[in-house]
Amino acid sequence: MTAGPSRGRRYVLLLLLLCGFSIILFRLVTLQVLQAAELTARADRQHQKTVSFEGARGVVSDRHGKVLAMNVEVPSVFGVPASLESPSTAARTLSPVLNIRSAELERKLRQDKNFVWLARKVEPEQGRRLEQLSLDGIGVVMEGRRFYPKGPLLAHVIGFSGMDGQGLEGLERRYDSHLHGEKRVTVLQRDALGRTVFPKGLAEQAATPGHALTLTVDEVVQYIAEKELEEAVAHSRAKSGTIIVMEPRSGAVLALAVSPRFDPNVVAALTPDRWRNRALTDTYEPGSTMKIVVAAAALEENVMTPDSMVFGENGRMVIANTTIHDHEKQGWMTFSEVIQKSSNIGAAKAGMALGEQRLYRYLQAFGFGQRTEIDLPGEVNGLLKAPKDWGRRSLASISMGQEVGVTPLQMVSAMATLANGGVMMKPYIVSEIRDEKGRLLKEVLPQVKRRVVSPDTARLMTTILEGVITNGTGAKGAIPGFRVAGKTGTAQKIDPRTGAYSSTQFIGSFVGYVPAESPRLAMIVILDEPQGEAWGGAVAAPVFQRVGEQVLNYLGVSREDTVKIALAMKDF
Amino acid sequence: MAHRSAGTLSLPWSQTSQRTGKQRVVADHALLAVTMILALVGLVMVFSASAIVAGNRFQDPGFFLKRQVAWLGVGFLLMQLTSRIDYTLWKKLSIPMLACMLLLLVMVLVPSLGVAAKGARRWLPMGLFSVQPAEMVKLVAVIYMAAYLTRKGDKITLFREGLLPALIVMGLLSGLVLLEPDLGTVVVLGLVTVGMCFLAGARVSHLLALGLCAIPVVLALVLGSSYRRQRLMTFLAPWKDASDAGFQITQSFLAFGSGGPFGVGLGEGKQKLYFLPEAHTDFVLALVGEELGFIGTAIVILLFVFFVWRGFQIAARARVPFGRYLGMGITLLIGGQALVNAGVVTGLLPTKGLTLPFVSYGGSSLVVSLIGVGILLSISRDRHAGGPRGGRGGLDHE
Repeated sequence: MTAGPSRGRRYVLLLLLLCGFSIILFRLVTLQVLQAAELTARADRQHQKTVSFEGARGVVSDRHGKVLAMNVEVPSVFGVPASLESPSTAARTLSPVLNIRSAELERKLRQDKNFVWLARKVEPEQGRRLEQLSLDGIGVVMEGRRFYPKGPLLAHVIGFSGMDGQGLEGLERRYDSHLHGEKRVTVLQRDALGRTVFPKGLAEQAATPGHALTLTVDEVVQYIAEKELEEAVAHSRAKSGTIIVMEPRSGAVLALAVSPRFDPNVVAALTPDRWRNRALTDTYEPGSTMKIVVAAAALEENVMTPDSMVFGENGRMVIANTTIHDHEKQGWMTFSEVIQKSSNIGAAKAGMALGEQRLYRYLQAFGFGQRTEIDLPGEVNGLLKAPKDWGRRSLASISMGQEVGVTPLQMVSAMATLANGGVMMKPYIVSEIRDEKGRLLKEVLPQVKRRVVSPDTARLMTTILEGVITNGTGAKGAIPGFRVAGKTGTAQKIDPRTGAYSSTQFIGSFVGYVPAESPRLAMIVILDEPQGEAWGGAVAAPVFQRVGEQVLNYLGVSREDTVKIALAMKDF
Repeated sequence: MAHRSAGTLSLPWSQTSQRTGKQRVVADHALLAVTMILALVGLVMVFSASAIVAGNRFQDPGFFLKRQVAWLGVGFLLMQLTSRIDYTLWKKLSIPMLACMLLLLVMVLVPSLGVAAKGARRWLPMGLFSVQPAEMVKLVAVIYMAAYLTRKGDKITLFREGLLPALIVMGLLSGLVLLEPDLGTVVVLGLVTVGMCFLAGARVSHLLALGLCAIPVVLALVLGSSYRRQRLMTFLAPWKDASDAGFQITQSFLAFGSGGPFGVGLGEGKQKLYFLPEAHTDFVLALVGEELGFIGTAIVILLFVFFVWRGFQIAARARVPFGRYLGMGITLLIGGQALVNAGVVTGLLPTKGLTLPFVSYGGSSLVVSLIGVGILLSISRDRHAGGPRGGRGGLDHE
C-alpha cells in the first residue's frame, strides 16, 4: 500500500480544525452580537469627546421690544494637549495674545486631558489673531457671551449669567430654564492620540436658542426712575435708594430702580451686596406709610369715618409705660387729618380701636408678612408677628409702622391696592415668553390676588391721601396738573449697636399714585439714611414728583386741566 | 473530462496542461477563487485600516495599499508559476532549501544584516524591500516535513528513528525563529509539525508525551520573558489594564463589539484611528468585525473553513504520498495560522504576532501564502485524473 496520510487521521485533523473555527465563530457571536451594545458604548466613550456649548441665551427686552440683554458671539480658546508638540512653545506664543501668563497656560496645556479651555469669551480681535497664528492643537470656537447693551439699566432686575450661560441672579436666574439655550453637546471624534479627527461641524451645529422674555418694564420709565434716584441718592448722600413704579390696574412693574447701580457686564469684581435687589430682598421699618393700612382698615370696619374726630393728646400719649410723640402737636382733628398730618397718636388710636386681630387681618390682607410672589428671585416675607407675640405697645407701634419689616415691593403693592379700588393685583415683571421662532409660549395676564377693601373705602382713602399732598406732609409730591394721592414715611432705623431707635439714621419714603381719580402709576421712593433733612416728605416726595411728572408726560397721560377742558367742551 | 474542461476554460494553466499533453486536470478554481476573494477582502480592509494613519505618517493614504497591491501582483505571478511547476521538484529541493533557510535565519540575527523593528529582529533588507525569512521558513518546513515523512513511511511510528530527527530539525528552526523573537511563527511551526506527524501515523502517545515535555519549555519561555508574561496576564484579564498592556486586545474587543452584527460600514470604523494597533496587519480581522460586522467576520472565517476543506480534499486526491503530505501541510499551515490569528484577535489565545493569511498587510506573508496556494494548485492538477496510476510511480517509493 502506498504510504501516506491515513484517511482516518485526515478526518480527525480536519475535524479539529473545524472545531477550532467553530469556537472562533462562537466567540465572534459573543463579541459581536451578545456583547455588542456594551462594547459599543465603551468604544463610543473613547472615540468621542463631548464638549457642550449652550445655544444662544434668550433675549430680554422691555415692553416695547427694546433689548436689555442679548448675546454676542465671541471667541473662546481651547487646547488639545495631546496634539501639541511643545506645550511650552505654544504657551509662550499664546501668552501675549491672551494676556495670560505663559506658565499658567503651560500648566493647562500639560494636563492629561483631551480638551482644556484656555480662555473663555475673549475679545473678537484676540480670536482673529489666534486664527492667524493657526497653531496645531489650539482651537477657537465661537461662544455666545451675554451682553447687556444698556449697561446698568435695570441690572438689579435682569441680574446676570455666568460663563457657561447659567443664570446667576435676577431674571437670568429666575427664568434660566427658559432663557438658556438648548445644550449643544458637540461630539468631537477623536483618535487614540486624543486628536480631534473630525472637527468639522463644530460651527454648523447651531443649537436652538433660549426663549425670549418680554418685560412689563418700560425702558424709558426705568431710565427716568434710575436717573432721578441716582441724583436723589447723591444729593441726599443716602446709602442707597429704591424706586418701584407699578401699574395699579395690572400689577405690572414699569420700573424698578435700585441705587447704587452696577454694570452686569462686569460683575467679576463686585460683591453680592451690589447686585442684591433691595426692592424685594431687604426689609425696612416703614414708619408712617403703614398708616394707610390702619386707615383703610378703620374705614372699612366703620371704626372711623374720614370726619371722625380724634384727640391728638397734644403730641404726647403714654402707652404701656412708653410715650408716643407726634412731631406736630395736635389737639382735636378729623381722622383725615390724622393721616394727612401723619399723627402717630391718631394712628395708634385707630389701631387700638380696631384691635389686634382685625389690624393683623388687614395687614395680612394688604400683603405684609408674605411674599408678593413677583417673578423675581430672592424675595423675602418681611417681618410680621402674629398677635399672640405682640407686646402691650405693639398694637400702637404697628399702627404707626414700627415693629414690622416690609419690603419696598410689599408697600407699593399695598398702595397700588388702594389705587385699584381695593383689589390687590399680583405684581409681575415678565409679560411674555416667546420661543426662538417668535411664537408665543406664555403670556402673563394681570392676576387678581384678592379684594382687600371695598371700592368705597378705596375711594375714601384716595380722598384722604390726596389731602396728604394738598394739605399735609406730602406737599412736595405734588405734580402740577395731576391729582396725586400719597403718604410720606420717615422711619428711625434701629441702631445695630444699641438696639434702640437711632436719632440720626432714618429711612425717608414716599408712596403714592397718580392720577388719583384714575391711577396710571403707583410708585414708592425710598432713601436709606439720607444725610441732613431726612423726612420722607422732604427727601422722597420730590423724587416722586419728578419721576411722576416725567413718566406721565412720557406716557401721554392727560393733565387734569386738559381733562377738565375736555369735559367742559363735552358739556357744551 | 479533463479535456472537456480544458476546452471550455481559457485559464492559462489549462492551456499549459494541453501543451504538456499529460493526463492533467485544470487547477482547482474553487481554491483559487477563495484565495483571491480573501486577498481582495484584504486589499479593501488594508486600505480602510491604513488610509488615515498612512495619510498622517506618509502624506499618502494609499501608502500601504499600493505596496499590498504590488505584493499581491508578485504573489499572484509566483502562484501561477508554482502552480505550473511539478510539485515533486520541491521534494528534491527540500534539503537545500532547508539549509538556505537556516542560513537566512542566522543572517537575520546578525545585527549588520538584519533589521530590527518593534523589539524584534525579523527583517532582511533586499534592496527595494525587506523580507521576513520566518514567513518562508514556515513553507520550507512544510516541504521538508512532507519530504521527510514520505521518506520515513511507516517508521514514523518509531520515536528515535521516525519522529525524533524531524523534531530536531524543526526544533532547530523554531529555536532560530524564537531568537528573533517570533513566537507566533514558532507556534504555527509546532502546529504544522505535530499535525503532519499525526497524519503520517505517528503514535498519539508519542505526540502527547511530546506535548507534556513542551509544557515546561513553554512555561520557561513565557515566564522568562517579561513581555510574554505580561501578555499572559493580559490574556487572563484583558480589561484589568485596558489602557496599557491590555490595550491592544481590549481595543480589538471594542472593534468587534462596536461592529455588531452588521458592522458600522466600510471605512466608517473608528478603531483604526490609532486605537487598534496593527489594524492593517495582525488585527485586520478586528477591523473587518467593526466595519462589516459579524456577517463580515463569519464570511471570512467560513472562507478559511472552505479553504481548509478544499485543501484537504485536493491533497487527499494527490497521486503520490509527498503530494498528500505537502498539500495537507500547506493547508494546515494556512488554516492553522488563520485559526491562531483569529484566536488571538478574539482574545481566545494570548497575543502573538501572526498575520491573517491573504488578508493582513505584509508582503512576505502574502507572497509565501500565495506560493503555498500555487503548490496546492499544482497538486490539484495531479489528482487521479482518470488515467491509470503509475507513470511517475517511481517517485513514490524510494
